Amino acid sequence: MARYGMVMNVKTCLGCKACMAACSQWNQTPFWAEDGGKWRTRVTELQEGKFPEVKREFFPTICMHCVNPPCHSVCPTGATYINKDGIVLIDYDLCLGCGYCIEACPYDARYEYEKDDLEKDEFYFGEDARHHQVHVDKCTFCVDRLAEGEEPSCAATCVGHARIFGDLDDPKSEVAQLVNSGKAKPLGEYMGAQPKVYYIK
Amino acid sequence: MDLVQQHTWGWFIAIYLYFGGLGGATIALGILGELRFNKGKWFGIGTALLGLAILSFGLIWLILDLINPLRFLLALWVKGIAHSWIARGMIIITGAYVFGVLYALAAFFEWTTFKKWMGYAAMFCGFGVTTYTGLLLNANVGIPFWHTPALPVLFTVSAFSTGCALLMWVLAGKNDHESEHFFHAVEGFDIFLISLELLILFAYFDFARLGNAAVMKSSHMLLTNPLFTIGFVVLGLIAPLILEAYASMKENSKGLAAFASALVLIGGFLLRYLIVWAGVFQYPHGLAG
Ligand code: SF4
Ligand code: SF4
Repeated sequence: MARYGMVMNVKTCLGCKACMAACSQWNQTPFWAEDGGKWRTRVTELQEGKFPEVKREFFPTICMHCVNPPCHSVCPTGATYINKDGIVLIDYDLCLGCGYCIEACPYDARYEYEKDDLEKDEFYFGEDARHHQVHVDKCTFCVDRLAEGEEPSCAATCVGHARIFGDLDDPKSEVAQLVNSGKAKPLGEYMGAQPKVYYIK
Repeated sequence: MDLVQQHTWGWFIAIYLYFGGLGGATIALGILGELRFNKGKWFGIGTALLGLAILSFGLIWLILDLINPLRFLLALWVKGIAHSWIARGMIIITGAYVFGVLYALAAFFEWTTFKKWMGYAAMFCGFGVTTYTGLLLNANVGIPFWHTPALPVLFTVSAFSTGCALLMWVLAGKNDHESEHFFHAVEGFDIFLISLELLILFAYFDFARLGNAAVMKSSHMLLTNPLFTIGFVVLGLIAPLILEAYASMKENSKGLAAFASALVLIGGFLLRYLIVWAGVFQYPHGLAG
């Protein structure tokens, strides 16, 4: 049993979006979809401050794998569940596609994997296609890679060491140290979801 | 703070919420009419079945809104019963069907005591459905305009007002003494409900005026939308309130009251649609791509 979490270092994110590419290839998320694609992880560009003191920042986002996840609270069938390592997952066989969790998630982490997307998935990935039914989709912290002892693909690819993944229960891990020292903080704490992804801003 | 209007839910969910509330209220009010106002067994059976039919019509829209409607039966796999309002709603709706049909059977065969018990159980479930439509939206913590205890109250009151409106339609064509009596009772109750609805709305928007950014944005969207201000508030609430109050003081005014009821029914739908439309997420800054 672990308690997996991630620290995003906004200061060192270069905005190269290699994480988005790596995730979309590994998890076959609909990069082909209209309006810029559907992603499990995104890097948004922010303009901070007022002219002439404008600062450009890159802001990586992902499912926060909340301890008290509203997406789980609203899911009628139990399709959304929390595994023993604190990872919030979806059982595709049980997912109705009611969209309740998309409305409930306060971090914009979920999207619909629709019929068109299934066809495209097969078109791009052929026999290796991983999505065979419509469902709601989101980040899994790459549970399949964790099982093989590898990091999630976004963290493994990150050039700027902006994504630090690890076990929050292991005091020696870098994530735990960043979180326990108070350097990294969760977003939107007032909403009560208790995210396990933390930000250094 | 990043404010983003929600787009996942739209017309379909609004239609579901509307007919769910209307169906639930019709069951509850109709059975009340039979049990307490001596409206006779056929009225009880008719309204209970009418309410269930309306509820079923609403459910169709919920099913069509699923990305895979064929999966609908999974909704009865209510593992989320402890925490999800869709799962709890399924139980309440199933209860309304079971008790509603048992009530109708008991009324038909005139099993008096059993009918009473089933009638009260069906009324309770009907009431539950009306409130649940508000609780369903209420659970979405990221949309502060919905995440307020006032919403289920508003939806419940509005659902009962539309239920009264529908019953007035049913009763308007009848001239027997009991029908007249019940018609005026329903009319009076509707006047009370519309007034209450106006009060709740006032409180809702006064709260929003001082609320957080997303709440302010939602309320601004509604207050600048003529469909809301003129369509719902003026034509769907204030006009029928005045018409019904006027009609209640005059003889032979059922036609006028029935016209007011039509306005209430349209207004009720506009309310559901516009509240769903005005849902605005308040994401922590940086999240909205
Ligand atoms: S970020 Fe959203 S999808 Fe992820 S666990 Fe929290 S509520 Fe659920
Ligand atoms: S869309 Fe699927 S995962 Fe989301 S709440 Fe509905 S059944 Fe659960």
